[in-house]
Amino acid sequence: MGTISLTIDGQGVEVQEGKTILQASREAGIVIPTICDHKDLNPYGACRMCVVEIEGVRGFPTSCTTPASDGMVVKTQSAELTTLRNRTLELMLSGHPNSCLVCVHREACEKYRPGATKAGRATRCGFCSNREECSLREMALRAGENELGLPTLYSAHNVERSDPFMDRDYNLCILCGRCWRICEKIHGKPAISIINRGKWARLGTAFHKSHVFSGCTFCGSCIDICPTGTLTDRFARWYGKPDDRNLSACTLCAEGCSLFALTKSRRLVATRMTSFQWEASLCALGRFALAQIVNAPERLIRPAVQEGEDQIPCDWDTALELAASELPRFTESLAIVVSESTTREDRFLYARLAERLGASLIVVPSSRNGVEKELQGFTADLEKGRFRAVISGGDFLSAELLKGLNFSVVIDCLPSSGARGAKVVLPAAVLSEVEGTWRNVSGEVKELPAVSLPPGQARPEWQIICQLAQKMGLEGFEFKSAREVTSLVGSDPAPRPFDGEPRRGLRQLPSRFRGHLAADWVRPLEAFGMPSTPLEEMTESSKEGFEILERREVVPNMYFIKIMAPQVAKFAKPGQFVILMARETSERSPFTLVDWNGAEGTISLIIEEVGRSSRELISLPVGARVAHVSGPLGMPLPMEKKGTVVLGGGCYGIGAIYPIARGLREAGNHVIVVIEASSSYLLFMEDELKTVSDELIIATKDGSRGTRGGVQEVFVNLVQRGVDVAMFVAVGCTFMMRMAAEATKPLGIPTLVALNPIMVDGTGMCGACRVSIEGRTRFACVDGPFFDAHGVDWDELFSRRSAYSREEIEAMPQMVDLNALIHPHGSGGGCGSSCSHR
Amino acid sequence: MAKMTEEKTGARGGAQAKSKKKKTPRQPMPEQDPRRRRHNFEEVPQGYSEETAILEAGRCLQCKKAGCIQGCPVNIHIPGFIGLIAEGRFVEALLKLKEQNALPAVCGRVCPQESQCEALCILGKKGEPVAIGRLERFAADYAREHGGVPDPEQAPATGKKIAVIGAGPAGITVAGELARWGHDVVIFEALHLAGGVLMYGIPQFRLPKEIVQYEISSLQKLGVEIRTDYIIGKTQTVDQLLEEDFDAVFIGTGAGLPVFLGIPGENAIGVFSANEFLTRVNLMKAYDFPKYATSPIRPRQVITVGGGNVAMDSARTSLRLGAGSTIVYRRSRSEMPARAEEIHHAEEEGVEFHLLTNPVRILTDEKNHVTGMECLKMELGEPDASGRRRPIPVEGSNFIIPADTVIISIGNQPNPLVPQTSPEIEVTRKGTIITDPETMMSSKPGVFAGGDIVSGAATVISAMGQGKKAARAIHRYLMGEDPPEANPETPDNDTQED
Repeated sequence: MGTISLTIDGQGVEVQEGKTILQASREAGIVIPTICDHKDLNPYGACRMCVVEIEGVRGFPTSCTTPASDGMVVKTQSAELTTLRNRTLELMLSGHPNSCLVCVHREACEKYRPGATKAGRATRCGFCSNREECSLREMALRAGENELGLPTLYSAHNVERSDPFMDRDYNLCILCGRCWRICEKIHGKPAISIINRGKWARLGTAFHKSHVFSGCTFCGSCIDICPTGTLTDRFARWYGKPDDRNLSACTLCAEGCSLFALTKSRRLVATRMTSFQWEASLCALGRFALAQIVNAPERLIRPAVQEGEDQIPCDWDTALELAASELPRFTESLAIVVSESTTREDRFLYARLAERLGASLIVVPSSRNGVEKELQGFTADLEKGRFRAVISGGDFLSAELLKGLNFSVVIDCLPSSGARGAKVVLPAAVLSEVEGTWRNVSGEVKELPAVSLPPGQARPEWQIICQLAQKMGLEGFEFKSAREVTSLVGSDPAPRPFDGEPRRGLRQLPSRFRGHLAADWVRPLEAFGMPSTPLEEMTESSKEGFEILERREVVPNMYFIKIMAPQVAKFAKPGQFVILMARETSERSPFTLVDWNGAEGTISLIIEEVGRSSRELISLPVGARVAHVSGPLGMPLPMEKKGTVVLGGGCYGIGAIYPIARGLREAGNHVIVVIEASSSYLLFMEDELKTVSDELIIATKDGSRGTRGGVQEVFVNLVQRGVDVAMFVAVGCTFMMRMAAEATKPLGIPTLVALNPIMVDGTGMCGACRVSIEGRTRFACVDGPFFDAHGVDWDELFSRRSAYSREEIEAMPQMVDLNALIHPHGSGGGCGSSCSHR
Repeated sequence: MAKMTEEKTGARGGAQAKSKKKKTPRQPMPEQDPRRRRHNFEEVPQGYSEETAILEAGRCLQCKKAGCIQGCPVNIHIPGFIGLIAEGRFVEALLKLKEQNALPAVCGRVCPQESQCEALCILGKKGEPVAIGRLERFAADYAREHGGVPDPEQAPATGKKIAVIGAGPAGITVAGELARWGHDVVIFEALHLAGGVLMYGIPQFRLPKEIVQYEISSLQKLGVEIRTDYIIGKTQTVDQLLEEDFDAVFIGTGAGLPVFLGIPGENAIGVFSANEFLTRVNLMKAYDFPKYATSPIRPRQVITVGGGNVAMDSARTSLRLGAGSTIVYRRSRSEMPARAEEIHHAEEEGVEFHLLTNPVRILTDEKNHVTGMECLKMELGEPDASGRRRPIPVEGSNFIIPADTVIISIGNQPNPLVPQTSPEIEVTRKGTIITDPETMMSSKPGVFAGGDIVSGAATVISAMGQGKKAARAIHRYLMGEDPPEANPETPDNDTQED
């Protein structure tokens, strides 16, 4: 094929024949905006952002699908093209939550909330885990338009969470088709495709089957290629954008696939394929389980030695010295059992140690049946008394077998019955924590960089063996790093092939890692039928607790919940809150009372799904019971006659101001209620609020209804209009209340806010909720929640609210309800069916 | 099963023990190795075996005028129960204990015996006192583990209904006594689990929560109703309780309001009241995160300010969360109000002590996270009102201790929720409820109070002692006569600050 020359934006460009205009432009360094295009995908022409003008060609062809031809004259920038692209972008954004992009407070808000809120549905960028990496957002911000000519059409799909490892929020989907196209490219037959038609069109599996039964191999490519936050990795998503990416390899089976290790603050958050091709793809274990094994909370973190019946944690020297003093006694009766998943350097040193001590080395492959098979002979030897001591690099020997030995050292990363019975336990760094090289089944040697920090005192095995050997007085172990060992390894054998093709099917995954059942540490793997040790059942009494009488999602993420709680209902007053625990294992979380009925004994709440606790609550169906409801708590807001009062509510605050408005109006005030939401479709309780106010004013951040902006803009307008406001009460997120306080301060209008710091007991016992008001420390739970907004130390409140942001992410549930998988979700379905729209 | 009362074990037990008593030393209790236990939440002392218990019980002289009984805030008939243990009649020993003490398994573990019963043991004059606390614990554990505790006898129903506010040591005691005497008792508890400080405050490694729940369930077997998540003062007031359907009210809401130092930096991230720190770990089980959803504290270096039992609990809990742990206390070791055993355990486990040291300010980074604490050296001056020598700052002795977590454990004030909403109940300037020392009745007729809400922060057993007193007074108030098994009154024992 020859080259052709064409002109793009006045620049002469030479490219190979067969390239598209988009490719030609890129080669010439000319940027054409695009979303659906991806270098690893065939041209598709879905998003229509890449339109260009070509001399002599009518209309605006998409550059991604138009082949460049000799002598072509192309314009990628023009007023018309900009208008066209902005229209296209607007069209895309009308089906994608966009209020943050057009919000006048965006920058201030993002400064105060640098991380995304862990909401259920992403109704705006601030709720989206993909915010930092979103192509659509980037493009919109670059376009600089913060006016939208089209209404937002929120599609209201349920977030799909029943599959392991993936969260899917199709409300964000712009139908660029990258996911199914990459699936088709990599796997031939895509597991997902566009289902339904017209405005019901969305991505999905055939017949709404679970991905587990749809032929999906959980390679994660759809997640990794998705330009929006539609498809996400459940474990990694809320940690934010990784700050480092390193080429490494998976050592969980003999295939040894290359992967990128993504880390944030030297913690492994995800592993993903190195490029979007079948050859580079990963299995579910490599893509999703590896990071979770590394991050398992159960990891061994300190050495221990056995004394009598007890295992005593100790420092490294003590543990190594004990091992070093005992091991040389055994020589030929010592066996060293090592997993093939360790690095070549580790195994080289294990082999050298075995050789120097005259011990036998047994290398156990990671394959499905390998562990048992490989160990059969060894176990028989053990039983025959051939060995009297063992060094075990994993969960290979039962506690029983170890007990029969004179001495045992376990060098491992996770607890096991064997480790509990061992004389010495040494915690090992593994996988992404260890530097070294690894040979895979096809003989390739791959580099493994150490990219994440090991937990506690865990050390890499090469280091452990060197230190152990040196303590025994053995020579040839004076290495300062794994790299020094690499050149000595020479021609080590490739691992024995794995008896399955993990990348081709979920039933072919290796079930063990260092002898441990992988599903014991990464429970969602159970969904693939992988063996695991049953968990202890948490017994929850269903008879006790507080029955849920009503539950509905009034707007996305906002749930109206009515609970039978007579003792609260009887005594509640406006402005008070309750503490709820969905289950016995839940946190105690505060929620403002929205309504109550003493005669019925019921209370009503608006719960916004923004993390584990609220998710646990809103997941309870009608008829189920909330484990604990305690309240009413906090000082009620005095219902006094003041004149004209303005009440501002945002998010859950829209519900929270309802009883306050009712009370203040009954007290004879002229009540003006202002409610704000990101967009019109997130407004709720308007009818109810109308009945308890003299005036209801609406504000939306995107201007889709009412005043564009927040309650503070409306408030300032009111004052400018000459309304004599005696008091302003703002209830909503911390940012909203702070903005309100800042707006009313120069006006000198008394302003109250309901502060929302982290609480534990809610009865004044712990002081977790302390806030500074005019330099004085107060407890929000008993002195508040209402305080003078102008005296609040907002920066302190923001910082204290973020104290557990990391733990709150770690607490997000990863478990999968196996029962939900057995019955494929959705009923009916099929092409053109609209029943997926719920 | 023999009857629980009337046997006079004194003479017999004494005679039997006489031959051995001079040779037998005080029996140590096996403990979890400090090197191991500093990393786990399992109980530290592991209790006597049957043999050791009999041996230790044999040391008791069975004094006729037993000083130990006077030292006990609830006047347990100590020689009596010890005599039964010496004879191997363990369950009967428990029943003997239960005559006076509703929670022997708890008290055996958390009472400051060295300053109470054991301080008055005659053997202690020349050698070491009888290990009364350990024997008490043994009897209770034995009976619980062997399932041999018969249901206590209950008097016929009186038709009287009593509200007990707070399911802590005082409330549990009052409820237990009144229920046995045939009254209808309802306990109102603000938190989601009953037990009060026994659940949220005292750590698992010192008092396993299963034991507390066992004691609570035996209370329920007596017919006591426990309404958790019910906050008197918020959900309902004392006045409403009396108006509605209760004949008397007992307030045992404790001292749950944490005191802070009032120094700069105290609202930084990483500064906790001991209450919050211990509540997160004990009540909310944050050490089992993420199974339990409450965010755990993950300290690397902890400073605990204070010298009481709560400070020791916090410092030792910090170790178990994987941190280095330092106590900062402004007086010297001999003024520390903590139980000797707790200080000893803390030292054994590796808690460092900065004595005669007072915090000046907490240092923070730009994100408002704790980075350390500036302290001042102190020296001891003349005794102050508490009889302890007053610490005086040494000028210019400022120094910095690096830390990422600071736990403030300098005491608690009475919980104001109930008195706030019941103006007729008179309180002192400190917020404690004023009661008649004989009857524990407050200024509002029919409303009694006891425990830390009356005495200010004190011990579990003193709260129980007041509870017993209040229970008798409530019975007399309602029935006009002494309760069935009323015991002679003894003077109130003031115990040390906790």
